[in-house]
Amino acid sequence: MTSEDMGPLMRVRDVIKTYGPTVALSGVTLDVRSGEVLGIVGHNGAGKSTLMRTLCGIERPSSGTLEIEGRTSTEKGSYRGVRMAYQEGSLAPELTVKENIYLSANQWMPKWRWHGPAAKIAKERLKEIFPDNSIRASDYVDDLPLADRQMVEISRATITDDLRLLILDEPTESLSGSAVDHLYDYVRKLRAQKLGIVLVSHRLKEILSVCDRVAVMKDGAVVSTHLASDVTERDLFMAMGGEVAVAETGVGSGGADRDASRPVAVQIPMKDISGADTEIYASKGEVIGLAGIAGQGQEDVLARLWNGVAGEVTVDAKRAYVPGDRQRSGIFPLWNVASNLSITALSDLAERGLRQTDKEDALVKKWVNLLNVRGGAQAAITGLSGGNQQKVIVARAFASDADTILLDDPFRGVDIHTKSELYQLIRDEARAGRTIVWYSSENSEMRHCDRAYVLRAGRVAAALHGAEITDERIIAMSFAESKGSVA
Amino acid sequence: MSVTDTAPKLTTLPRGLLRRTMPCLLTLAAMIIILLVCGTMQPLIWSQFGFTLIMSPIVALAIGSMAQMVMMSIGDIDLSIGFFIGMITAISATLLRDTPLIGVLALLASILGYALLGALVELRSVPSLIATLGASFIWLGLGLFALPVPGGQAPSWLTAYTMWSPPLGIPTPIITMVLATAITWFFMQKTRVGVNFRALGSNPIALVRSGSSMLGTRMLAYATVGLLGVVAGLTLTAEIGGGDVNAVPGYTLTTIAAVILGGGMFTGGRAVAWGTLFGAITLGLLTVLLTLLKLSSNLQPAVQAFIVIAVLAGRLVVDRKIK
Repeated sequence: MTSEDMGPLMRVRDVIKTYGPTVALSGVTLDVRSGEVLGIVGHNGAGKSTLMRTLCGIERPSSGTLEIEGRTSTEKGSYRGVRMAYQEGSLAPELTVKENIYLSANQWMPKWRWHGPAAKIAKERLKEIFPDNSIRASDYVDDLPLADRQMVEISRATITDDLRLLILDEPTESLSGSAVDHLYDYVRKLRAQKLGIVLVSHRLKEILSVCDRVAVMKDGAVVSTHLASDVTERDLFMAMGGEVAVAETGVGSGGADRDASRPVAVQIPMKDISGADTEIYASKGEVIGLAGIAGQGQEDVLARLWNGVAGEVTVDAKRAYVPGDRQRSGIFPLWNVASNLSITALSDLAERGLRQTDKEDALVKKWVNLLNVRGGAQAAITGLSGGNQQKVIVARAFASDADTILLDDPFRGVDIHTKSELYQLIRDEARAGRTIVWYSSENSEMRHCDRAYVLRAGRVAAALHGAEITDERIIAMSFAESKGSVA
Repeated sequence: MSVTDTAPKLTTLPRGLLRRTMPCLLTLAAMIIILLVCGTMQPLIWSQFGFTLIMSPIVALAIGSMAQMVMMSIGDIDLSIGFFIGMITAISATLLRDTPLIGVLALLASILGYALLGALVELRSVPSLIATLGASFIWLGLGLFALPVPGGQAPSWLTAYTMWSPPLGIPTPIITMVLATAITWFFMQKTRVGVNFRALGSNPIALVRSGSSMLGTRMLAYATVGLLGVVAGLTLTAEIGGGDVNAVPGYTLTTIAAVILGGGMFTGGRAVAWGTLFGAITLGLLTVLLTLLKLSSNLQPAVQAFIVIAVLAGRLVVDRKIK
């Protein structure tokens, strides 16, 4: 280990963070030293974002200690000297670039006549980090392309008088090649000035080329810390719980072994990781999975199927969608279980525009019994537990006469017992001839699929079949960057 | 920034500026056209007296619209401003004239009331529409309590101000309106608090991450709305010479229209002081124009509404084209 002589800049000891029964961080112990770049990697749900929010002070740990240069208390909701460049959402789009800079750094700016100084420092810092940007200080953030906004966000985070620790959360997801290089040049410059930098990224190559040390997170804890010079991408996969997959496994094999006896129910053209044409398809009666790191285009695939533009995708005319975020898009909170369950099926049951309540009742009864919904048909939906609410939403889709069911990560936060009931339901319904397209951020769920497509940056990184679908392979393929980059 | 950059046509303007100022410019154009039409039909308005005559009923509307603009910049909507201004006239025509000290205290208390309304909206997550709708009945009740029937008398200093005829032939209403707008504009664009207001309307998360409190910002914004409402109420008292809580309930919706005409948005984040001024004057002048056109006063609100809808639809089209 290097620079053991200096005390760490930030010392994290046994930090636990829980939200109700959910454990987001299960005891993180970590040091960030001055003059080093610490990389943090991990798959979905490993606790990276919670840790970052805890490091910069937005979240207080449920237990454990955090210490930066000896201080343990936050000022105005953040630790002094710690700044974070967020992946998204921390700029006010209706404000100009300089106003956003002023908003976040006003304590270091004059009280009056700050427009000039704010514009000047914004411009200087943008130029310093990204020499060939074309952002002007009086541009409105709303009208900037995504990459430019990210540059503003990164610059915003660095504009402060007492920067000691800079946290970069997925800074390069929307940046182009040269901007990425410029950013990392700047990171190295900060390191030379004895600052600490924490870099969270899914791009393992970048992590290995920039960082001094890499901490691997899994299940809410740091499972191992490595010197970047000693490890390869393969070692990081292994530490995250992946297995080293042979690069060619499955890639591009999408259409190879299609079962000709069954009609194709779903088909959507995609690009594979090297840019060649491929497709995601499902035969009638199949369960196919969309896997990979969250936010890599899985929901986009579902949206394309749901919209079902003819000529672009092939999909059954009758389809149902099960949303994942039940609070926001799933339930009708004022209605009871029966109304929530039958809403999609209503128009099919109706005759000449009039509701057939007897048929509705029969349908509701069947599903409430089948899925064993606690409280019965007349219970208020908001009185149910999360798992039971989710059962109702899933039942709503299956109670309709849709041929294709789209599942948008619907089982997040559902208890294990309910989950196994729902997995069984999915298998049974597929056997009965329905086609199911299932996005899940939980890799182990993909085992219930006939075929799982691992997505990376909107492209198909791998198509795994049957027994190949394992946590380890999904993790390994999730980090694919370009052709043959794995192994 | 390199020399090789093939500069797009509008490179001299900051990105997004045109889209934001266009509604204001369109409204300004509409205002000028209406003024010219009115002036052609009745040349007498081109005198200090004539201009004062057509502009003075608009002053309270313009300042009330400033209040609504501040409210909309934080993403809220005020459905109580009409009755609030009415209540202020009732207080001004009674308490403020008879016992100035108590009158001033009453006005300060109404501003405080607005700040508390803001706290309610923030702490209890009550939609601003509901909170201000409820508050409008409180203002109505308090106004009736102060002055059950229209009457009272404006304080003499207020009347004296309206009687003042400034040098160089500048009409008094113009001075009042431009001054109020300039101060509001400066406050919203140049001060920390103004930036915080707009940040609250555009992205509250950004505001919180910058270390400001949402509660404090929202209460301050509501207090600002209250302050502008008080000023609007005072100018209205001067204009009508007395107090009437039911004087201008229509201002509630007209001020919203003025802000939208000026380029404001229901979703918040935009502060358009000058646009709002032009919007308010345009809406006020429409009445003058329709009267000059000898349109039956029964039909005037409908025609006014039609014009507002047409302008808003046009603005939407323009907005999309630019983007």
